[in-house]
Amino acid sequence: MDAVAVEGLGKRLGGAWVVEGLSFAVGRGEIFGLLGPNGAGKTTTLRLLAGLYRPDQGSATVAGERLTTTAEPPALRRAVGLLTEQPGFYERLPVRYNLVYFARLYGLPTVEAERRADALLARFHLTAKADEPFARLSRGMKQKLAIARAVLHAPPVVLLDEPTVGLDPEATREVRALIGELAAEGRAVILCTHQLAEVERLCHRAAILARRLVGIHRVNGDDGAVTLLVTLASDPSAALADVRGVDGVQAAALNGDGLGITLETAARIPELLAHLAGRGHRLTSATRARHALEEAYVALLAEARLSGVWS
Amino acid sequence: MRLTGVILARELAELRRAPLLLLSMASLPATLVGVPLVTVWYLVERVSPVALVFLEELYGLDGGAPAQVVAEAAALNWLPIFLVMPVFLPILVAAQAIGGERERHTLEPLLATPAPMVAIVLGKSLAAVVPAVLITWASAAVFVGGLDLLVYARAGVLPLPDVVWVFAVVVLAPLLALFGNTLAVLISARVSDPRAAQNLAAMSVVPLVGLLVAQLTGKVLLGLPFYLGLAAALVAVDLALIGLTVWLVDREQLLVR
Repeated sequence: MDAVAVEGLGKRLGGAWVVEGLSFAVGRGEIFGLLGPNGAGKTTTLRLLAGLYRPDQGSATVAGERLTTTAEPPALRRAVGLLTEQPGFYERLPVRYNLVYFARLYGLPTVEAERRADALLARFHLTAKADEPFARLSRGMKQKLAIARAVLHAPPVVLLDEPTVGLDPEATREVRALIGELAAEGRAVILCTHQLAEVERLCHRAAILARRLVGIHRVNGDDGAVTLLVTLASDPSAALADVRGVDGVQAAALNGDGLGITLETAARIPELLAHLAGRGHRLTSATRARHALEEAYVALLAEARLSGVWS
Repeated sequence: MRLTGVILARELAELRRAPLLLLSMASLPATLVGVPLVTVWYLVERVSPVALVFLEELYGLDGGAPAQVVAEAAALNWLPIFLVMPVFLPILVAAQAIGGERERHTLEPLLATPAPMVAIVLGKSLAAVVPAVLITWASAAVFVGGLDLLVYARAGVLPLPDVVWVFAVVVLAPLLALFGNTLAVLISARVSDPRAAQNLAAMSVVPLVGLLVAQLTGKVLLGLPFYLGLAAALVAVDLALIGLTVWLVDREQLLVR
């Protein structure tokens, strides 16, 4: 069973759809990226899955707990660990006090809350800072503490909003290692970021959002989505029209004298090339994009703009 | 209730580490107790017979030694101040209840926990109400003790506490503190700027200040029946405000605003 299953999820804020008809699934031990431009609905999706927003359409199941348009989801909140964009701790209070406080709000008895806080402080190399006010921590330490809070109650699903934003390279590396460990422990991790390189390093798959889901890209694995750059001696616009709707094509857009085409898998490449040749288009070259995710991202967003989903 | 206690303990721990806020909470009561005691001390020695007659007529006092008349007039007139205090003090803390969490980016992590809204609202409310009531009680005790000390030495009587004072300070002050706090939490949840919330909530003391002015001018004499009626009205208003707050304050609204 999937750790997270989203079916047609949608949310209206301020009278407009911020997220619409979103569907995807994330397995245990998987790191799933949420990519998209500003305002694409990434943070809203995380807040929906964390039970902070009520959906206006569709539903989601998170660690077996169902999120619907009507139900108040305290059990779902217990199953989710959320890293918010800002660390968000009480500046004057000691580091350990902050962690124990949140652990108790998640329903842990005091002794257990203290035990887990101490264990996480040790794991994240923050024990020496335990009695210092949160305000005295460095940005990287604050972010590590926020990740510690997200896993305090041992949730099977962890939602991370921009986990490395504003961190120096060393702290970034450390935080990435921690995210890898969370997945290795069997948790489903949903990671929301602007950094494609981070997704390529960490994620197994990434969803590209532009209010709606415009594509899911398999980042790691031989059978994943690929982007093909095709140059043509004939009219690329005509080729673009012919490519759209072909089985296995996730997105296609004009790219100089040719096309950028994102396919579900590399296995679809011969079929696509044969299709283009069969339609009389004269191919001069076909290469797999070097930065597959970036190409897919750009192509999928271009596709979304063309179809009017995103502006 | 356990989660309410957890939130209350955290709020109080933060309050202990905010000396400036504590100082601002304590400075108002210190002034409101010190000024009348110094005034009474000055008047008991120097009040003229004409002024005594004026005070007796204006406030319907029974007469007695000059010190006793001055003290009774002061006790009568200064009681509303101990009703303004518990409304005003929690506003200093409660107006930050939601807006402060939003400013410090702690609101989203707090709301992401399974803690029910009623526990969050109650924990934050108690954190503002408990110190306000304790400070009011302590201030009232200092005022009563000071006044008795001044008068007993000169007239051999202890003018305070009387039934009205005990009722007002013990029963009305907590009800008023709850009123000021709940109003501040409600406003704090509905406006994005904590300072605006503080200013708006502070407007709630205006009717009480009006009562004080009315009594000072001798137009209205606030006795036990008035305070009993006020208590009954406050119980109803407090319950309605708490219900309204829990109903209106939900996670999504707080995050979107």
